[in-house]
This record gives sequence, C-alpha cells and structure tokens, in this order.
Amino acid sequence: MSSEIQNLGARRLRVLFEKIPLILFVGLLVWLSIQSPYFLSWENISRMLLQSVPLAILSFGLVCVIAAGGDDVVSGGIDLSLPAIAVFGVAILSLGLMEWQLSWPLLLLAVVIASLLCGGINALLVLIAGLPPLLATLSTSVAFTGITELLTGQRRISVNSPLMVDFRDGSLLGIPYALLYLALVFIAFQVLLHHSRFGQHLQAVGGGKDMAQMSGLNVPRLTLASWLIAAIAAALAVMPLLAQGSGSSSGTATPLLMEMVLATFLGGAFSRRRVVTIWGALLGAVLVNALSNGLALLGVNIFWMGAIKGVLILVVLAASALQHKGKS
Amino acid sequence: MKVTSALANPSPGEKTARQSIAWLSRLGFALVTLFFIIMFSWSSPVFLTLDNWSNLLQGSAILLIVALAMTLIVSAGAIDLSVGVAIDFGAMMALIALKTWQLPWQVAVLCALLGGLTIGLVNAFLILVCRIRPFLATLGTWFIASSAERIYTDGGGAIAMRRMAPEYHDLAVGHIWGVPTPVMIVFVVWLAAWLLTERTLFGKRVRAVGQNSEAARIAGIADKRTVFWVLIAASTMCAIGGIILSANLRQFTPLAGQSYLMDSIAAVFIGTAFNRQGRVSMSGTLGGVLFLAIVNNGLNLMGLNYLVKDALVGIILVVALAVSFWQARLRQQHV
Repeated sequence: MSSEIQNLGARRLRVLFEKIPLILFVGLLVWLSIQSPYFLSWENISRMLLQSVPLAILSFGLVCVIAAGGDDVVSGGIDLSLPAIAVFGVAILSLGLMEWQLSWPLLLLAVVIASLLCGGINALLVLIAGLPPLLATLSTSVAFTGITELLTGQRRISVNSPLMVDFRDGSLLGIPYALLYLALVFIAFQVLLHHSRFGQHLQAVGGGKDMAQMSGLNVPRLTLASWLIAAIAAALAVMPLLAQGSGSSSGTATPLLMEMVLATFLGGAFSRRRVVTIWGALLGAVLVNALSNGLALLGVNIFWMGAIKGVLILVVLAASALQHKGKS
Repeated sequence: MKVTSALANPSPGEKTARQSIAWLSRLGFALVTLFFIIMFSWSSPVFLTLDNWSNLLQGSAILLIVALAMTLIVSAGAIDLSVGVAIDFGAMMALIALKTWQLPWQVAVLCALLGGLTIGLVNAFLILVCRIRPFLATLGTWFIASSAERIYTDGGGAIAMRRMAPEYHDLAVGHIWGVPTPVMIVFVVWLAAWLLTERTLFGKRVRAVGQNSEAARIAGIADKRTVFWVLIAASTMCAIGGIILSANLRQFTPLAGQSYLMDSIAAVFIGTAFNRQGRVSMSGTLGGVLFLAIVNNGLNLMGLNYLVKDALVGIILVVALAVSFWQARLRQQHV
C-alpha cells in the first residue's frame, strides 16, 4: 500500500518534471502579459506570429532531416545550412527582381532549383563522401554564404515589387497572407511527416538505419529525400524572409541559424516522447519569437537577451535530459 | 546499393583499378596540398619566400592552438562550439587584469588562463551534471558568454591598451632564439598535446571514451572524470590562444574568437585525411591547419577581391572535407 502511494508520488513528480519546459514558458508568458498589457493585444500577437513565419518553415525542414537521420546531434541528422540556403534564395530573388528584371515565375523556379541543388550537395557529402551531417552542413553553410555575398557584393538590396508588398501587407478576412501561407505549409509538412506512409518510413530510418534496411526500406533514397525536402522548406521560407526584410541584406543567416536550432529542439522538449515534431517546431518558433518580443516590450537591455535565451534553452534541455535519465 | 554490392564481389580488373584509387587516395591529400603550393608559387613569386612562410606560421598560431583543443574534444567523442568565447574570455581577463587591476603581466597570463577555465567549468557542469548533449550545451555556453561579453563591454566596444607591458606584447611579436614567440608557444603546446594523447594512459582513455563511452565505463574507465579534464584542458588551451590574440592586437575585441570556430573544426577533420588510420590526431590537425593557412595565404597573395576569396575558401573547405572523408571511406572498405 505504502509503496503504491510512493509510486504515485514518484509518478506525479515525473509528470511535473516532464512539464517543466511548458510550465516555465507559460509562466513566463503570463508574467510578460502582466508586466506589459500590450503583450497580449491582438495586434501584437499577430505581429509575433508573422515574425515567426520564416523561422517556423525552416524548422520544419530541420525536423524532416532530424526525423530521417536520428536525433543525435553529432552523428545523426542535422542541417545547419538551411538558413544559408534560404538567404541565398532571397538574394537570387531580390537581385532578379531589381537588377536582372526577370519575371516572378522564372525567379521562383530558379530559387527552387538553386535550393534543390544546395540540398543535393548536402546529400552528396553525407551519403557519398560519408561526412557527418553536422560537419557537412556547417561547411556548406559557409560556402553558400560566401556565394551569396559574392552575388550581392554585401550590399543591401531593397525590393518594392507589388507582389511582395501584397504578400507582406495584404490579408484575407483579417488574416494576413503570410499566416495563411504558414498554415498551408504547416499542414503540408504535418501530413507528409506524421500522417503518411512516406513519413513513417522516414521516421523508421531515423529510429534505426539497420532495422529499416532489414525491413526492406531503401535507406539511401529516403535519406536523400529528407535532404531534398529540407531544401524545399528552405525555398518555401524564401518568400516570407524576403517580405520580412523587404529585400536582401547580408548577415541574416547567422541569427536565423541559432533560432532555428533553438526552436526545433525546444519543440522536441515539448513533445511527450522527446522527439522533434512539426507541431513542436511551430510551437518552438512562436515561443522563441514571443520571448524576444516580450523582453523587448519590457525594455530589457538587448545585450541581456542572448543570455536570457541561452539560460532558458539550457533549463529546458536539462529538464528533458534529466527526465530521459529517469526513464532509462 | 549498387556500389556496395560491386565492392563485395569485384571483378579482377575492377579490383586493381579500385586498389590504385585507394592507393592514390592515401596520398591524396598530400598531393592536393602540393598542387596548391605549386599553383600558388607559380602565380606569385612571393609565396615561396622564407618571409612569407614565417608570416604564415605566425598567422596560424592561434588557429593551431584552438584546433588542438578541438582535437582533444573531438577525440573524446564530443564537439565544442564555445571555443570562440573561451578565446575571448582569455583575452578579456588578461586585459582586465592588465588595465583595470594594474597587475604584472605574469599574473595577467594566469588570469587569462582562469578566464578560459571558467568556460570549461560551465561546459563541464552542463554536460556532466545536467547531462545535456555537448553540441547543445556548448551552444548555450556560447549564447550566454557572448551575451556576457556584450553586457560587459556595453555592446561590443573594444578594450584597448596601447601602453601594455612590453613583455606581454612580446608574447605575440617577440622572438626567442630567432624564432617568433607565438610559433615557439604553439610548438610547446603541440608537443605537450601530442605527448598527452599519444604517449600517456590518459590519451588512451580519452580515445576509448570517444569511441564508446559505455564500453569504456564497463572496462573501468572513469568516463566522466576523463571528459571533465578534457573540457578543462581544451578551454585553457583556447585561453592561450586568447593571450596571443590580445597581446598581438593590444586590445580585446568582443566576439573576435568566433571566427576560429569553423576553421578549427574543419582543420581537425581535414587532419583525419593525413592520419594513417584515418582518426583524429594532433599531427593530422597540424596538417589540417597548415593546409587552411596555405590556401588562405595563397589566395591573399593572388590579390583577389575579398568576397571572391571568401567564396573560394568556402568551396575549397567543402571539397577538402569531402575528399578527406571519401578517401577514409575507401580505405575502410579496402583494409
């Protein structure tokens, strides 16, 4: 009897532990909304959501690669070059519009092809040369950024095409276009990864390569597919990224990289099985932006922002790691 | 799939062809390096002069020290993204000690080492006590420490000190027996690191933990203690790099260490191509750093636009890593 009670207590403690990241964030959001009444106004919420569109889409891509590669950061799947690919796409788009005077369909096609090429290079490095994904994508992100800077000459290129302005400012039934776009992309990725046969195969490969191979899956082809899907996600993030910056400017990839990794792994800490999910990535991206936004509203010194974010991530990760340990 | 089946049952002709490829690939990286040296010396008469090479060695001193630290960590099966802030903390503490506290330069050096050590302690706490994976833990350390630097310097202003003790400045620009001091320091650090990893029990333990920490623990190695000392040693080594950097510039520039992160990781893995067993090693890392330094120096001498140069360095990095891993894979399939 007493052991049962103790068990119950232990289980409750574990449930509490499991919820630490969520509790922490909810607490923080409540505190922020008490401190600044503007925080929870519709205007601010929609702005926060809008800001997280490119980040969320990039995180979806990262989730696909992690799902197919396993979530071990060093030997498993990770794609650090996604922001660099997206910024490369933004550069192509803005240069094409403003300087080469090309038409939209042609440019969008060029962006998709360029992204797929970049994803293909990543896949080549990982599958043929056998580089660990971390190293492969870290080095390709340097190369892609270098090529982008070479193309743009490190200039800022402002874009004022009507289509982009529409995408940025327009809305349907009070919902901004960019949010509708995000919803569509989200549904597509959610279905692809969590509700389709293909998605199950990808996760099987991530769960154990040898096992997947033995049960008759074509592991190299699925891995290649995951890299290309990630590249597509980067291509999809190009449009919102262009709208957000109203053009291309150099140096946008690095902060995006940090936030992408952060949002994706935070999302993993929210899921019950501690795996990265599309849904979790969306939540993570919104939370990361809510945090920056709330802290900015409070007038927190911008230099403290990195430290506060860093500590929060570490707390969340530590909570999930300790919980992992408790289970095994 | 076709590739592996072809490898399993190669026809005789294919076999000899593949063997010669494997033999070539074993030499491959040295040949690539040689190719670059020949190309650069052909395009610029200055490249092969003694002056340029002494410059090149002096310029790559800090990178080599950081890369050695990274080698130690990678051979223990982890990765460290916070080497940049460890360099910065070393440089910052040295300048604070010299400028604000007016301490003698020997004490400043000690302070710098302690500054680097702090980063190592934070990493060790996060990785060993909180059990966060090294990649994410050191990413967090990087966030927090770079933010701390910004707060302390009020947004990234440099701490300059023109009239620093000449002995301290000499750590970067002086000569010992005709050899530039940084090169001398690097040589000592390299020798110590080489002895530590190749000639001591500790080095064997580090590699055992790196290959399979679970097996190492069952075999009776205190894996946590080993990783702890590796993290501490690595961050202290980075602080040495920070000392040279601050002595050279006579100032502390916040976030300056970050630029060494990518290069040091690349050097470590390019280094595996120089090692006979294809593993991470101190001698290999030396080769990797020299390769990067030669490419950088040669492209500079060609007088290219810096944007073109950056793009080229990025592409060469990708190709070099691809070649080094591809040949390691070929080799594995042939032994």
